[in-house]
Amino acid sequence: MSLETTFPTTPPTPPRLPPLRRLAARCMRNPLGGVIAALVLIFGVSCLLSPHFLTGFNMMIMARALAFIGLVTIGQSILMILGELDLSVGAIGGLAGITGGMLMVQAGLNPWLSLVLCLLLGTACGMLNGVLITQLRLHSLVLTIGMAGVYGGAILVATKGVAITGVPVDISFLGRGLIYGVPVPFIVLLACLGVVAFVMVRTPLGRYVYAIGSNPEAARMLGLRVDAIRIAAFATAGFLSALAGILMVARLGTAQPSIGDTWVLAPIAAAVIGGVATTGGLGSPVGAVLGAVIIGMIENIIVLFGISPYWQSVVSGGIVVLAISFDSLARRYLHREA
Amino acid sequence: MLAPMAARAADDHAPLRFVLIPKTVHPWFDKVNTGAQAAADLLGKTTGRKVEIEYRAPETADVSSQNDIIERAIATHPDGLILDLLDEKGNHATMLEAVDEKVPMTVFDSLPPEGMDVTAVGADFCEQGTIAAQRLAGLIGEKGEVAIMIGVPTAPNHTRRAECERATFAKYPQIRVIATGIDNDSIETAQKQASAIMQAHPDLAGWVACDAAGPVGIGQAIRESGRTGKVKEVGLDNLNDMIALIRDGVADSSASSRPEMQGYWAVIAAWQRALGQKTPKYIDTGIDVLTKKNI
Repeated sequence: MSLETTFPTTPPTPPRLPPLRRLAARCMRNPLGGVIAALVLIFGVSCLLSPHFLTGFNMMIMARALAFIGLVTIGQSILMILGELDLSVGAIGGLAGITGGMLMVQAGLNPWLSLVLCLLLGTACGMLNGVLITQLRLHSLVLTIGMAGVYGGAILVATKGVAITGVPVDISFLGRGLIYGVPVPFIVLLACLGVVAFVMVRTPLGRYVYAIGSNPEAARMLGLRVDAIRIAAFATAGFLSALAGILMVARLGTAQPSIGDTWVLAPIAAAVIGGVATTGGLGSPVGAVLGAVIIGMIENIIVLFGISPYWQSVVSGGIVVLAISFDSLARRYLHREA
Repeated sequence: MLAPMAARAADDHAPLRFVLIPKTVHPWFDKVNTGAQAAADLLGKTTGRKVEIEYRAPETADVSSQNDIIERAIATHPDGLILDLLDEKGNHATMLEAVDEKVPMTVFDSLPPEGMDVTAVGADFCEQGTIAAQRLAGLIGEKGEVAIMIGVPTAPNHTRRAECERATFAKYPQIRVIATGIDNDSIETAQKQASAIMQAHPDLAGWVACDAAGPVGIGQAIRESGRTGKVKEVGLDNLNDMIALIRDGVADSSASSRPEMQGYWAVIAAWQRALGQKTPKYIDTGIDVLTKKNI
């Protein structure tokens, strides 16, 4: 009796799907397929329902509004892929903006030097978060809630709640300027996203971030400098938040103590919509920014469609749930069909 | 003056559409909206041309959020924007976009940016705070300890009222401002802050506030501590809860701006602008002192 076992030399052929479903299946195999499909759907419906949606002015204001929240989202998504969270990113952005205003207006410092110092401040704040989390073995969620209070409180101490006006016009181009009709903050967002996406996909550092996010203990056993990478990720998030804060000061022409107040939950929601797992190890900053585009588009159409302010949260929350469900259901359906 | 414009308005039957953007979602702005809708109804009936008011409120009182809403409203090219500016300097760049897009603007409850041809409808914040502080000074016999509840510390109208209340108390040598609370325009926060301050200062004689939510929370704290009548309160504005506190004798009175009137006259000004008419630089809607006798 022969003990030899024969194995098929060719894999079983999957059932052939109709062309449209095959295209959909191919899209859904792409990690960003779901969020792109949801985005295209919302964009298409908005174009059909509002004559004001697909206008140059509206596209311009959407791109500019996206830039600020998008920068913070990139930083938050890196941390989420790492399995961390920073709830002080908004306060860091606000603190950087206020510090910039004080350096430029009250200290009379060169505006460009002030911007550099603010970016360093934001990076230092993020790094401080990272050091405290890694050295004291604290949960990032808990620590950054506290640090948000510290940074936010510092803003109130420094300003007494009053905006700093008289920011030099030299920097207004950064917030208000257009290059070939494209808002400068949006170009800054694209540049930052390009750099971060390259690092995450094409460099060992990016792969280490995913490895740590998937299993930090295994990554540590493999010899990765887990704590150093976590600190670097928090510093990057701090840098990007500070950049958003400074661009907002340039946009408003004043340093408002309220800058960053709305940059806490939206970036997390955007990252989740864009496929970043809250447990770490999955997703990408590009997907997270696409999630931010969906949120921005929803906020835009809510006003364009004239939805009552009392219904805005219900409608925007509902569309977000639909967008996430659409992605999940489509994947399950195509998986079953295959 | 209105008659020729009414005739002109009737020439065109397309509805006039104005977008009203307050600082945030708040009952005070609901009253503004009520006044605005009343003006729209009146104009629609008298001119034969429908006037629509779209109410778009930011969820949080944040300048960048408000700018986003204003920009989205500009994208719809309304016949006019009616704005309550969070910060005239922070809103300036966005208002310039409205100018570029040829969307006329009217502001209420706030000052327009310098150099901009915009009608401002509202009351004097400083006068409102001064009236409240003077009335409290009289109630406590011009001596004793008082406290001020600041609303949102980043809101210019709240900080302006607080400045003027402090300046007024400073004129009375025997009055001392011994505590300042921050309620962030939340009744619950105001109640907690006021309770804590009254615990810490048992000799406190009276309260003034700088926003609409603050005095309601203060009144609740006074009632809960059983110090009704012993601790005097002069509130601000005319929220229903504030009026109830005056009726119940917990608060003495309230220096109230007239939100319905601000909404009403803002629409009238916006309507005139939409028809190409010149409008006044400032429309003062005045301040009421609400007491048990006149509510």
